[in-house]
Amino acid sequence: MTARRIGFWLCWGYLGLVLVFLYMPLVPPFVFSFTDKVGGGPTLAWYAALGDNRVLMGAIRASLLVAVITAVITPPLALLAAMGVRELRAPRAILLLVLMPLFIPGVSMGLATAFFFQQLGIAPSIWTIVVVHVMWSLPFAFLIILTVMATFDPVYLEAAYVHGAGRWRAFVDVELPLIRPGVMGAAIFSMILSFNETVRTALVQGPWNTVQTYIWSSYLQIGLSPTLHAVMSILIALTLGLVTLMLALALRRGRRV
Amino acid sequence: MRPNPPLVRYGLLAAPIVFIAVFLIGPLAVMFAWGFWERVGFSVRPAFTLEHYAAFLDGARLFVLERGLVVAISVTVISLLIAYPIAYFLAIRVKREVARAVLLLFTVPFLVNYVIRNFALAYLLSRSGPINRALIDIGLVDKAVDWLLFSDFAVFTGLIASYMPFMIYPLWLSLAGIDRRLVEASWMLGAPPIATFLKITLPLSMPGVFAAAIFGFVGAFGESAVPIILGGVGYQLMGNTITSALDVLDYPLAAAMSSVVVAMMLVLLAAWYMVFDIRSFLGKITRWKFRP
Repeated sequence: MTARRIGFWLCWGYLGLVLVFLYMPLVPPFVFSFTDKVGGGPTLAWYAALGDNRVLMGAIRASLLVAVITAVITPPLALLAAMGVRELRAPRAILLLVLMPLFIPGVSMGLATAFFFQQLGIAPSIWTIVVVHVMWSLPFAFLIILTVMATFDPVYLEAAYVHGAGRWRAFVDVELPLIRPGVMGAAIFSMILSFNETVRTALVQGPWNTVQTYIWSSYLQIGLSPTLHAVMSILIALTLGLVTLMLALALRRGRRV
Repeated sequence: MRPNPPLVRYGLLAAPIVFIAVFLIGPLAVMFAWGFWERVGFSVRPAFTLEHYAAFLDGARLFVLERGLVVAISVTVISLLIAYPIAYFLAIRVKREVARAVLLLFTVPFLVNYVIRNFALAYLLSRSGPINRALIDIGLVDKAVDWLLFSDFAVFTGLIASYMPFMIYPLWLSLAGIDRRLVEASWMLGAPPIATFLKITLPLSMPGVFAAAIFGFVGAFGESAVPIILGGVGYQLMGNTITSALDVLDYPLAAAMSSVVVAMMLVLLAAWYMVFDIRSFLGKITRWKFRP
């Protein structure tokens, strides 16, 4: 083996090590959630008991509702932002504005939004939670849609105009079908981010709870329990499932083009 | 051809901008204002006072600011040192499809709530956790190492695990967007690989480095959950100091501290905006084939 090839495999080794470091924390919740507290044997009791926890069930319903609403609102907004950026030939100021939520720490964003609503006299509700979730997922959705739109050649739109289509017809019949996987990907990504948000949500939730803020406040009050580990395992599994779905959509797009 | 009325079209295109202006700029403006307002009971009243900034800057909290800066800068540098080689390798030495798949692998742990990941890290690093047991089993130490958890080491590990994965992406974006002919020209003119890297590749990847650095720095600087989970009692960074001011309902103080964090972010972002073209950081994805 030449030195160059050895270097190549060393790089892969390094990459693998970093990945192991990043993936290691995904394992313990599963182990704890399937382990009996007394005997240490395997058990499903913690999962079976989840249904009796009414606060948790309410939090799960709220999380699902917020995630679905976020996934419905964010992609169209991101799509419009991406189209606006293309229309105006990528003005830097607008790019910066759309990407800005990425760079604001969760605490500051949550606190600022909470104060904002308090100042306006708007009580915390599902919708105040939705606002912070949409804001948090918007830059990611924007980047995903922008990436897909870059593969679309605007000459197709010109062709549609030449044949008498209006801008709306040209968009719906020509461009949208080609960039739909990107929009779907953005929707799933927004849903994942919404499911996994704690810090921002905790500051605008008021009396509501999402699964994540339920986990966080239970941890602060009484510490971790097998029940919480079961909930966290479900969330990890759900996230991995959604990522797989996103990957499947991306692969389908790859085959068709 | 019946063009849509421009009003409707521009109205639609402006919708996301309006959304961001109302729900991002609006809240930040209120937060900045509240930092100067008076505290009345559990609420605030319009005024102009610097007492909250004074309370922040001359108390024990100044130490938090210093430590927050030191921790955030160190974490950013370490994360860049870990992430840059990965991004470089993926952008230069690996096929584009493979690189995308591996980038996705790095994104997955970033997507799983970092609070959950940090709970697990706390277990892995604990006295009776698997890392300590392994160290004892292979005879490296006699008894459990106790600086693994509730220490600077733990907080650094948690912050790096939380923010580093997403720093790879902007680095990769800017590295993958570099025109390979520039690098080849440097080789052909006889520059050794290291000189080519230092004079061509590294400077051209700076927009990505800067974007990744801002993301990591601001994240680590404003972090609130990691110091609670991994730092233990009394480990204060800016984020959890802000939430503890909220816990005692001192809204103006929380607003003032949070304003400092956001102001720092805005300065960095402004510097990034002045020095680099964001479009070059985004690489190919904003270069459309425009027709005249």
